[in-house]
Amino acid sequence: MIWLFASALLFAIGTYGALTRRTAILVFLSVELMLNAAALALIGFAQLMGSLDAQVVVLFIIAIAAAEVAVGLGLIVAIFRRRETTSVDELRQLRG
Amino acid sequence: MQETIFLPLIIALPLLGFVVLGLFGKHFKEPVAGWLASSLVLGSFLLGLYLLFQGGARWTLLDWLPGIPFSFNLDNLSGVMLLVVTGVGFLIHVWAIGYMHGDPGYSRFFSYFNLFIAAMLVLVLGDSLPVVFIGWEGVGLASYLLIGFWYNQRVNADSARKAFIVNRIGDLGFLLAMGLLWKMFGTLSISELVQKVEAGGYNPAALTLAGLLLLIGAMGKSAQVPLMVWLPDAMAGPTPVSALIHAATMVTAGVYLLVRHAFMLHGDACLSGLIVVIGLITAIYGALASLGQWDIKRIVAYTTLSQLGFMFVAVGVGAYWVAIFHIVTHAFFKALMFMTSGSVIHALGGEQDVRQMGGMRKYLPSTHIHGVVATLASGGLIPLAGFWSKDAILAYSFAYGPLLWALMMIASVLAALYSVRWYVLVFWGDYRGKEHPHESPPVMLWPNHILMVGAAGAGFMGLPYVIDYQNFLNPFLTPAIGDFALEKLPVLTEWILIIVSAVVAAVTLWWGFGFYQQKAPPWLERFQVWALEGFYADALFNTILVNPARSLAGVLLDADRGILAGFTGLGSLVGGLGRLLASLQTGALRLYMVGLMIALVLLLGWGVLR
Repeated sequence: MIWLFASALLFAIGTYGALTRRTAILVFLSVELMLNAAALALIGFAQLMGSLDAQVVVLFIIAIAAAEVAVGLGLIVAIFRRRETTSVDELRQLRG
Repeated sequence: MQETIFLPLIIALPLLGFVVLGLFGKHFKEPVAGWLASSLVLGSFLLGLYLLFQGGARWTLLDWLPGIPFSFNLDNLSGVMLLVVTGVGFLIHVWAIGYMHGDPGYSRFFSYFNLFIAAMLVLVLGDSLPVVFIGWEGVGLASYLLIGFWYNQRVNADSARKAFIVNRIGDLGFLLAMGLLWKMFGTLSISELVQKVEAGGYNPAALTLAGLLLLIGAMGKSAQVPLMVWLPDAMAGPTPVSALIHAATMVTAGVYLLVRHAFMLHGDACLSGLIVVIGLITAIYGALASLGQWDIKRIVAYTTLSQLGFMFVAVGVGAYWVAIFHIVTHAFFKALMFMTSGSVIHALGGEQDVRQMGGMRKYLPSTHIHGVVATLASGGLIPLAGFWSKDAILAYSFAYGPLLWALMMIASVLAALYSVRWYVLVFWGDYRGKEHPHESPPVMLWPNHILMVGAAGAGFMGLPYVIDYQNFLNPFLTPAIGDFALEKLPVLTEWILIIVSAVVAAVTLWWGFGFYQQKAPPWLERFQVWALEGFYADALFNTILVNPARSLAGVLLDADRGILAGFTGLGSLVGGLGRLLASLQTGALRLYMVGLMIALVLLLGWGVLR
């Protein structure tokens, strides 16, 4: 059960960070926290159920998260090079 | 009768001219286009003459449509028509080389002109009715294109549309007749229809109905009352068009169609009587209306109506060869009359109002001679062409009934009057206009010289039997039309009729010559106001047909707009909804996050409490 509480805490921290930070890097970092909270929740449920299935899914999540981080950071770097800023408020005009 | 590929070649020549001039007209310098078109028509004429001397020709393309061959037939009847169309057509082509000089649409004009000749030849030579119908529609198209030739003036375009729409009514009759004949006999080839009708075994009432429908078609094309309203307006086209299409050839197509189907009309007293009545009304209406016109071309247009009425009477009384005879002589003298008018218009720089003319005999001596011959031939002075054909119609009318003869006599008195009125207003008196008149160039004079010979002499091929017992035309046409023997009038009666007709025409011409040089009395002026409007036929048609149709169209248009407004309303509703939703996309990342979180909480809460 403790894992689930830890996961909920981690998710709350991530949500708080994503809502309050302005720098894209930090928002991104908070989102990663939320993602890992979800992974942790899966592990906790796997413990409770005594099954390994969810743990396999977590391995997939880690692998995909790695790829996603590469793409996300690449985007942020590209935006910074062009605009000299990563503030999500200033990037509002990207809405199209 | 021989099968020969030369027969379609007659049609292909002018068609080639149409294609070449239509596609590459810009590359031809001015007179070249005209001479090319003219020589192609001359080629058709010579080829047709050659084949006619060979004793006619046939050409068949088997199974064009299921059960309907694509066939042409050159017999004596279609041969005479072919020679008129290409012969007079050639002369008018040459004349148009001079008349259309300097027109920006020079090549286009001759392209359309050749299209007309090709379509008319299809009409004349076609043996199966659908082929005739192709030509029938083709001449309608060419007529439409040429009436609206100067299309940048609205009145011309309107006249072209009017001609096309009125002709549609007639075309509907033609189509229905074809359908009915197909249902009755299972063939649409005219030569087979002749045999099937002779063989009998059909419902005579149905055949009468088919004849009536064909008659409606002929009335539309030949501008008979009540479908005559398009012809005077068709004068909006250039003068060569009026001479070729609306006097000499196309308008006689209806008469030709009826003569071709003489085997159906013959012996049907009801239908024949109807044709006589229509022709008689048209003959008198056209003549009276002509007497009130001031536009030189409209004068001649109404005289054409009147003469077409004469031809219908000839068909109605069963004198089919006389109808063709009158087509031939009329083609000569009416084309001459039109082209003389055209020469005068040309000389006066486009002036068409006869009140601005007068005294032309001093300025245009050659054209004046053409005018004299045209007037006398059209007025029926012995021994010019118009006299003999008109006299033949009068004689057969007398055999049909003395009352008809008396009414036709009135019509021919009026014919003499309108001819001489035209002549006096244009050529006598003092010149009333301001332009400086100049005689036409030789290219316009020579065709008129030749037509003048025809208008003077064409009558001798159809002399009455008391003078020439076996004239040329009657036995020549009989094998093609069918041998419908008409009883000959006694010799004495025939002579009396000839003398009466000749004397009346001569006296009327002489009296009219004096009368129209004086000032018009008040009763005549009142009459002319009526006649100028064609006795308000147009106004009547507008009231009972055009305006109701126009109001219906207005209602339908409004309804259409209403339905359309409903659909556009639906479209703008969906669009507005979309714009509302699009405003949610603000670009503020944290707002999106809040939305996500609220949704998460709601979904979780729903999942737990469920």
